[in-house]
Amino acid sequence: MKIGPINIPLKEDFSLKSILGFEKTPMNMLVAVLTLAFLAMFVVGVATYLMHGHHAYNVTREHPWGLLIAVYIFFVVSSTGFCIVGSLGDVFGFKDYMMISKRAIFGSIVTILAGFAVIAFEIGHPVTMLIYNVLSPGLTSAIWWMGTLYGIYLTFMIVEFYFLLNNNMQKARIFGLIGLLVGLAAHSNLGGVFGFLNARTISNGVFYPTYFILTAFITGIYLSFIIMGFRYKMNFDEKTKALLVGLAKIQTLLIAILMFFETWKMLTAVYGGMPNRAEVAEHIMHSGAFMYGEVLMGMLIPFTVMLLTKWRSVTTYVWTSVIGMVGIFFMRYDLVHDTQLKPLQMMKTHEYQLPPSWVEYFPSATEIMISLGGLGLCVLLYYVGTRAFNLDEEH
Amino acid sequence: MKKIETSRRRFLQGSVALCVYATSSFSFTSKQNSSITTIENIPYLCNMCRNKCAGFARVQNNTITKLNPNKYFPKSRNMLCPKGNAGIQAIYDKDRLKYPLIRIGNRGDGRYKRVTWDEAYEYIKDKLVTIIDEEKDNRSTIAYCNGEGFNKDEYIKFFGSKLGSANFLDEGSICLNTKLGATQLTIGDIGEMDVAGSDYLIISGANRYESLITPDSIDMIHSKQKLVVLDPRCTVTALKADEYLPLNPGTDLAFCLSMIYIAIKEKLYNETYVKEYFKDFDKLQKHILKNNYTASWAESKTHIPAKKIEQISREFFGAKNPLYYLGRRSVWAQNDFQLRRAMVLINALAGSVNRKGGIIFGKPFVLKQEQINEAFYNNSQGRFDLDGIVYGSQKGGSWLNFREKVLTKKAPYPVRAMFIRKHNIMQNMPNIAKTKEMLNGMDLVVVLDTMPSDTAMMADVILPECTYLEREDMVVSFNRLEPSLALRNKVVEPLYESRSMQDILHGLGRKLSKPLFAVSAKYDEDLQESIEELGAKNAFKEGGYDFTELYQNSIEQRNKKLIVSQFGLDVYTSLKTKGVWHPYIGKQKELYNDYYEYYPKEKRFYTVDRKYRVNCYLGKLEKSGFDPMPTWHSHYDFKLSEDSFRLITGRYITSTQTATTNNIMLKEFQEKNHLWINDRVAKKLDIKEGDTLVINSPIESVVIQAYPTNKIAPQVLWFAHGFGTESEELTNAYGKGASDNMIIEDKFEKIYGCATMHETNVTIRKL
Amino acid sequence: MMANYAMAFDYKLCINCHACEVACKEENGIDLGAKNHRLWIDEDGETEGDFWNLARDKITFIQMQCQECQDAPCLKACPNGAIYIDDNGIVRLYKEKCDLTLACMKACPYDARYIDEKNAITDKCIFCADTRLARGETTTACQITCPAKLRYFGDLDDEESEISKILRERKHFTLKPELGTKPKLFYLE
Repeated sequence: MKIGPINIPLKEDFSLKSILGFEKTPMNMLVAVLTLAFLAMFVVGVATYLMHGHHAYNVTREHPWGLLIAVYIFFVVSSTGFCIVGSLGDVFGFKDYMMISKRAIFGSIVTILAGFAVIAFEIGHPVTMLIYNVLSPGLTSAIWWMGTLYGIYLTFMIVEFYFLLNNNMQKARIFGLIGLLVGLAAHSNLGGVFGFLNARTISNGVFYPTYFILTAFITGIYLSFIIMGFRYKMNFDEKTKALLVGLAKIQTLLIAILMFFETWKMLTAVYGGMPNRAEVAEHIMHSGAFMYGEVLMGMLIPFTVMLLTKWRSVTTYVWTSVIGMVGIFFMRYDLVHDTQLKPLQMMKTHEYQLPPSWVEYFPSATEIMISLGGLGLCVLLYYVGTRAFNLDEEH
Repeated sequence: MKKIETSRRRFLQGSVALCVYATSSFSFTSKQNSSITTIENIPYLCNMCRNKCAGFARVQNNTITKLNPNKYFPKSRNMLCPKGNAGIQAIYDKDRLKYPLIRIGNRGDGRYKRVTWDEAYEYIKDKLVTIIDEEKDNRSTIAYCNGEGFNKDEYIKFFGSKLGSANFLDEGSICLNTKLGATQLTIGDIGEMDVAGSDYLIISGANRYESLITPDSIDMIHSKQKLVVLDPRCTVTALKADEYLPLNPGTDLAFCLSMIYIAIKEKLYNETYVKEYFKDFDKLQKHILKNNYTASWAESKTHIPAKKIEQISREFFGAKNPLYYLGRRSVWAQNDFQLRRAMVLINALAGSVNRKGGIIFGKPFVLKQEQINEAFYNNSQGRFDLDGIVYGSQKGGSWLNFREKVLTKKAPYPVRAMFIRKHNIMQNMPNIAKTKEMLNGMDLVVVLDTMPSDTAMMADVILPECTYLEREDMVVSFNRLEPSLALRNKVVEPLYESRSMQDILHGLGRKLSKPLFAVSAKYDEDLQESIEELGAKNAFKEGGYDFTELYQNSIEQRNKKLIVSQFGLDVYTSLKTKGVWHPYIGKQKELYNDYYEYYPKEKRFYTVDRKYRVNCYLGKLEKSGFDPMPTWHSHYDFKLSEDSFRLITGRYITSTQTATTNNIMLKEFQEKNHLWINDRVAKKLDIKEGDTLVINSPIESVVIQAYPTNKIAPQVLWFAHGFGTESEELTNAYGKGASDNMIIEDKFEKIYGCATMHETNVTIRKL
Repeated sequence: MMANYAMAFDYKLCINCHACEVACKEENGIDLGAKNHRLWIDEDGETEGDFWNLARDKITFIQMQCQECQDAPCLKACPNGAIYIDDNGIVRLYKEKCDLTLACMKACPYDARYIDEKNAITDKCIFCADTRLARGETTTACQITCPAKLRYFGDLDDEESEISKILRERKHFTLKPELGTKPKLFYLE
């Protein structure tokens, strides 16, 4: 397809028919039905939100940020992860990883779009945000830097993807490098949103900005396994296998580092029983979302499986990566929830109440529907992309 | 602060000048341009509770947008409490009574039709003519009642002086008549307590920080006296006290007797004062010593350690200006009259009468009364509710005795109609079932009120009165030590079809005067003679049968005439522009942070010219078979069976009985009441916070949520009055919490006929 | 006219009557709902022990509202530069710039902000700046209605103001001083 000087090489057979013409295996049908169901939920969720505003959400004065923020973070971390993995080949020139570059860069675009779609229904006035982001930038605000840099990052990713499609590796590398740097900056600023919370000792400090980069890389590798498994229907050729074995080895190392990070974060948080930090850390460690979600699914299971199978069983890793991604979701959810666990207001304001203890939060149906809708949107966009573009490496 | 102060004054003066005579004629141009010129600040007097604090209402575009305190009023000391602030929601309550209504369903089911004022008056007239004719002109068959408030006297003039009924009832016998009577009979005046001047203050039971009384509560915050609080429940007042003495409910009298004992035994009392003023001191001394009311005796009754009682007694009588606070809503138990007398005697023994920090007679402004021509009815019989009561209030009677006699048909004549104004009798007195039964037996029930209360739902005719912000009331004189006059000015015109009481009575009077005169003419021989002599027209006029006599002129005209003739135009102008007048109004001194001194200390009325005696011994009581002096009896002991509790009641700072529980703003602070139960007892019974409990009393049961706390005595339960509304028309209050009067037994003491609110024993069960 | 407005609380005088809260809600047209408030009273501590030997001294009532930080975390956290300090030293909001990201709510160490649904912005105490002060009055609704008159409101830059005097005369503290937010609400010992 040509628009002026811009040439977008679409697949020749790209049409509605090609989109619907997938193999009707039970697995494919399941994914298709789920995606459609999620999209329908998105519509219902958004409609509910438009009618009732934030009343449709279970967010409160004590817990102003809920599931949608977590899902937004989940998507933008995924995007950064894709970007890092994609850059291995086309930016850093690792030949083995070249074959996934285009696919991963496309993934990074799709995931960040899904993230934006979700966050638009969390922010009260998204249009106001766009206008005053430019007219009166809050330069001391981590959110401003994050949002602005993600905007630039998305632009660079699209341009990089364009050059990758046109096989212009030179320009793809330049835009890829800048995009990666901007993306990492944006991403660490997202960590900064939490790192800057001076009043909340559990989240204040250097941990989140660096941790975000690390977990982004891990997320990128989990997602790479999933999309490659999807692409090759688990029948990997040797070259792909080599790629995945390499990624699995990197992943093992990254998870090991992450486990060190987490262990020391928790140890330092609990150590000495510092008020507002120690009890929150202990509370987090006693929660299922942390122990079973983050630790077991996000780290231990994938890590152990890869160690035990000595990085050879790449098909298994596709499945452990799915488990890993569930764990990653809990990491994002916990991140948002845990930093609001301890009320800033610890006293009774009313005779007939127990003094405030831990802030309770469970997402409302609307929040869940919009979140799943984001996932549906992401899968749909990606699938359409696989039909429209040649995401494989061209020789 | 000075800079702020001057500019603030300038603002107030500027805005006050604009609002001298508030009218609704200005137009409001633009919302953004809400400059001073479009705002009026109109002085008014609050009516959210009995205090009548002064405020300024800010009016924009004919709408009240804010109520602010009035710094000129010595009584309310430049403050408005939460209820005062929420008064704005009282006038704009969507549930208000808006139109005259006539019942079309059964009593209590809330089915009414909207009628015109004339139809409502006509309906009442027809019923009254029939009833009074059938009762052969015995006007007392029409009972009437009114809760506290400014217009009570005008209401009495209408139904008592003009219509001729003897059966008036008010809140006194379910509130404070024992305290008023005890003070009056002991020292010859009801007096006023100088809380601000006291350096040592003992409060028994009264909860001045959650049931605000101005200026007492405010003075307690601002003065530095030692505060001792006795209460079976640790209230906010108790929390703030220097010493809190937890005690068994109903045993305050034992504490007081012991204080008197110690004062006499240790000769701590003020000998000069006793010598000069006391009557029958020897009898008191003999009685107290003979009964041996020692501290250790009192400990066995009250649970307060004897050492503590001795310490407090010595401190009290050793203090320069001690005050034993007499309370307000009293009437807890059978011994209440003598309890209040004991309190008065303690103050008198310390010499704390008519001196700084004591009970003060003072010098209130006495307003001249407007003369009216009282009608006389030969066939109208006297009241019967004080039969069997030693003293009783001739004005407000005894509610429980009245109700009992009407119900059991022991009254000498039937009471067939009732006019009820600003008095939620379906919720305000013990044993609601009996009130309901009494009203169901009536041929006509008329309710004048602002809200569709439980009582309004029992009415045949509902006449919507306007709220306090929509009317001018007759000028009122306040206080004795720092006396002042205050005027409730009209802030906005009455909403909907509501009317002021005077307008309602004027309309009703026009309708009733002639037909009822005709009934009298049929039965009253004196009147027949008079008609023969003077002719019907003159007999009607000179006999005072014209019910509208008082309302020929508007309240505004009447106030102006009254005030200008007695005090002069300046006072009147002050009342219209500042809402208040006292001699130091322009010269009041700011002490700090907008807190003022009104009367200079040396100008306060501590001394009194007239003679008075402290009566230790009341012979009339002895003759009637009661104790002439405060005495303890063994049946006053706090003794309960293992599984039962004594139920006591009180209120929240954000509510005034049932009158405010529908207020949408106050609802945010207390939407319903909770049952206070001792935490250890609750643990034993496995009752946790929020558990639903059934409270069973000998007469009824209610359901309520539990609040286990260490702030209440083990065998005592407490929950706030004012909740458990049954009227579905009160949409914010309906179905919220429990009603105490559902389960409180209808017992009354025999000295003043007052309901004893804290004598019901109950059991509880988890639901 | 420029001022540096601040408030000092003689906090131990509080009887928790809620007059300030109602006055504030009525004056500033705050949305109904118990959680929607610019100011509130905290009950610090509990009575301890058995009823007959109750320890009451641990209970105090603390006046809570925006602490008017001179180094305000909410101001720094806002992505749109919607929060500013006005000429009177009050932390304010350009209402049209608020996008409800709620970064300010998260950043505030004092839980001072809530969502004003009527105007769809985050709101907090601004010393009645757009109501009473805008009309030329020099008291806040809470200060003037308080029965205890425990709220001293005034100009810190004016050495003669009552608040300046009382802060010179009496020991006082601020809340969470370790966060370096430099609050302008002072609690008098």
